[in-house]
Amino acid sequence: MYSLKMRRLAAAGAALVLFVVPASQAFQFWGWGGRGGRGGDPRAWDFDPDPRAEFQFARYAYGSGEWGGRRRGSWQTDWPDAEYHLTNGIERLTAIDTAYGGKFVEPLNEELFDYPWIYAVEVGRWHLSEVEAERLREYLLRGGFLMVDDFHGSYEWASFLASMQRVFPDRKIVEIPENDPLLHTLYDLDQRTQIPGIQYLWSGQPYEEDGYTPHWRGIYDDEDRLMVAINFNMDLGDAWEHADLPEYPENMTALAYRFAINYVIYAMTH
Amino acid sequence: MFELFFKYPLAAFRKGEFLFASGWPVWLLAALATLACGALLWRARTAPSRLGTRALGAVWALQAATACLVLFMVWQPALAIQSLKSRQNAVAVMLDTSRSMSFGVDGQSRLQQAATALGERVLPALEGKFRPLLYGFGGTPRRVESIAPEDLPPPAPSSGVGESVLSVLRESTAVPLGAVLLASDGSDNSGRFGRELMAEIRKYNVPVHTIGVGRERIPGDIELAEVAVAARALPRSRVSAQLTLRHDGQQDRETRVTVRDGSSVLASQPVTLRAGEPVRREWIDFGAGESGVRDLAFSAAPLADEEITGNNARRHVLDVPRRRRRILYAEGEPRWQYKFMRRAVHKDASVQLVTMLRTSTNKFYRQGVDTPEELEDGFPDSEEALFAYDALIIGSFEAAFFTPKQQVAIRDFVSRRGGSLLMLAGPNGLGAGGWQNSELVDALPAALAPDESSFQREKVKVELTRQGRDSLICRLDPDPQRNATLWEELPELADFQRLGALKPAAVTLLGVRYDRDVLPLLVRQNYGRGRAAIFATGGTWRWRMGLPSDDVRHDMFWRQFLRSLVADTPGPVRLTSDRTNYADVSRVRLRAEVRTKAYEPAGNARVTVVVTPEEGAAQTLDLRPAAGELGVYETEFEASAVGVYRVEATARTERERLGADTLHLRREGGVAEYFRPERNAGLLARLAEETGGRYWELDELEGLPGEIRFSEAGITARELLDLWDMPALFLLLIALRAAEWLVRRKAGIV
Repeated sequence: MYSLKMRRLAAAGAALVLFVVPASQAFQFWGWGGRGGRGGDPRAWDFDPDPRAEFQFARYAYGSGEWGGRRRGSWQTDWPDAEYHLTNGIERLTAIDTAYGGKFVEPLNEELFDYPWIYAVEVGRWHLSEVEAERLREYLLRGGFLMVDDFHGSYEWASFLASMQRVFPDRKIVEIPENDPLLHTLYDLDQRTQIPGIQYLWSGQPYEEDGYTPHWRGIYDDEDRLMVAINFNMDLGDAWEHADLPEYPENMTALAYRFAINYVIYAMTH
Repeated sequence: MFELFFKYPLAAFRKGEFLFASGWPVWLLAALATLACGALLWRARTAPSRLGTRALGAVWALQAATACLVLFMVWQPALAIQSLKSRQNAVAVMLDTSRSMSFGVDGQSRLQQAATALGERVLPALEGKFRPLLYGFGGTPRRVESIAPEDLPPPAPSSGVGESVLSVLRESTAVPLGAVLLASDGSDNSGRFGRELMAEIRKYNVPVHTIGVGRERIPGDIELAEVAVAARALPRSRVSAQLTLRHDGQQDRETRVTVRDGSSVLASQPVTLRAGEPVRREWIDFGAGESGVRDLAFSAAPLADEEITGNNARRHVLDVPRRRRRILYAEGEPRWQYKFMRRAVHKDASVQLVTMLRTSTNKFYRQGVDTPEELEDGFPDSEEALFAYDALIIGSFEAAFFTPKQQVAIRDFVSRRGGSLLMLAGPNGLGAGGWQNSELVDALPAALAPDESSFQREKVKVELTRQGRDSLICRLDPDPQRNATLWEELPELADFQRLGALKPAAVTLLGVRYDRDVLPLLVRQNYGRGRAAIFATGGTWRWRMGLPSDDVRHDMFWRQFLRSLVADTPGPVRLTSDRTNYADVSRVRLRAEVRTKAYEPAGNARVTVVVTPEEGAAQTLDLRPAAGELGVYETEFEASAVGVYRVEATARTERERLGADTLHLRREGGVAEYFRPERNAGLLARLAEETGGRYWELDELEGLPGEIRFSEAGITARELLDLWDMPALFLLLIALRAAEWLVRRKAGIV
């Protein structure tokens, strides 16, 4: 029989294993400041993609959503591998002259208008001020396109909606119909498969929070053109970021690429 | 005055043949003159004299001249001239009775002034020598018994001076007509007084003496002399009209020009007519509106004390056809300019942008197609399919993508079909895409820089050129200053592409400032029946994203630009008339240019037009092939009633219908005489000079009856006019003697 001391040691060891293994696995993905292992605010880094390309992946650097322990805002999630992988894919699979990597654009910087396509992640945590909302509305009305991604469940939806309603108080958010050109610009995307985040690898569940059902929603302008593409209850960013991770389902990555490419081509054609 | 010194009118000297009536040989005159000069020289040198050398020389010269003059007079100089035999010839006296002759000053009309002058100073002098044939004329001449107001025809709504003279000459072939006297203000609004008509008049060899009536300048009159505007416009497009305004140029005058469609004002703007600038050209822009026929009225507001206001307005019919023009846009890569161009004309009623976009290798995304089959197989491979479009845009596409056959078809699309080609810049476009080695090289308005780095993603500022300021494409505001400011304030372009040398016929509308140079950005030229343009940027999207969402500059520019590409693209049948507004002109000449489906001239077509007046029955006319022009058909018709006429042309061969075209034209009555109301002395002087007559002012008519007789027309006799007894010769003789006396007196001899 084991002594009490032995049992305590075994329990402590098991606890250590239970804590350390996932922690090390998580660290492997995220590091201290993203998969690149570099911490701090990436806006300070000189990572500008080639400006001589037509399409620039521009990440919307909204100011809110700081995580206490992660030393960076939620807007940076999946950066920079998501950008690197996706822009490589766009360059390879389309005729779009694409810059490798991505840019950050801040809501109130005039530079925002130089990027007619922007990507915002974890928008369940964003909080846009009135001024930021007004600027984003103006951006969209001029012809800009916003893709939002990686937010889940009713709580995050409500949070997203609170800011989005400041942007467009009177425009409805609707489900994107099957026949919308968005789903057919390059790929015919007639399967509505929920694209999970990396948590799927250890949780085995494609959803997060209470976001069981994926939604492809959007906000249209007066000419019936999509201005905001809303990927709710799914995480395309993770699928791009982990495209090189053997454990992540390849078919999900492929689908996430296809959606992104359709969004980009739609934004460049409508 | 001339006759006082020279005994005969100037015309006698112009027309007469100089000779010596003595019959003695001229060599003898010359010999005697030489002898006299020699003798006088010998005497001057040998006879003792107190005169100095210079004075002696002067005296000798004056004595020699006197001797020569006396010898000249002894030889009896004379003029041999044809002159009308008295009482055996007729003289046609034509008095202009058109409406413009009712204008006047101090309560006396031009007609009254002319009738008074003729009645008091000319006709009595002709009586007994010639038989006067009196005519009143406006559009056509009419014989009258007298020039009393009650005998003259009513004021005619138009005047054709040349045609009236010709008509009188034709009518008088059975009469020995010695001359024509024409009293008029010279207003000829027939539009046909040209070289041909003048040559025809000259053939009759009858001198026409013209008498100018009326003021050469009417103070305080504003005339809308011309309205230059397209006959057709696209629905909802902007139309630019060039108005030519005339005034006396004596002082600055303010007016306002207005365009109306019925009772609604389409555009209105103030105009300052500057002193010293009697002709001013002013642009006014207005919207063409929806499809239909616009019966436009252009006007310049009359001044407070303006005498003649009938010349302040003009009418014009503008056709706005229903058909939406189709532009094929082939783009080699997804890019922002493509998106924003499409958005600019998304709801345009006049332009349909049909696009094929290469999204990945050999995959194309089509937008704006009419049927699922359209462009299904990529870029059109046949002329017929390509020629169905009105304009073609090629974006960032390498030339090698297009087969040689397609390249030839694109070139023929411009030169033969008459379409417009626009080449855009891009990483695969223009020189970077190898287009300098393509079949299009001759069609393009600039040589292309054969360099892959010619396309540069650098932000550059666009600049409006002088031609650009005048172009409707670049008209963001009707006011030139405001327009220039709007262009200056535009955000920088995202990129540009270097071009090579411009072709001689190229016109540059826009440029970019780069390294202290202004490089051409928007260049175009005509090529064959069509037009080709290069817009050396793919970065105008920054105008849209960089300006407030309610700013229309980007969209307005692209709409105007794309409309300009298709506005003049002809269909297989192109119907035109010799003018769009027939002000007191009833003869309408129609011309139809007919092409086959491949846009080759259709020489075997049957072309008919249906002419429908505003009121009354329609008439159908067959057009006849024009001499020497394959595929061109012509006809004429008489538009006797005032109003808008609809003319529909249809062309067909035995096997198929080739096409149709419609135009509208306006026939106006009673307005032509208000235009150019001042005396046209130039026309009258030219008519007189070309026919051997003379132009006379009203206050110098005393010499006219005497001059009429020197004419070679009618029944004439050869007359010898002595010149030896001209007062001028005797005066000269006295002057020579007096000069000699003065020289001697100066030398102290007398």
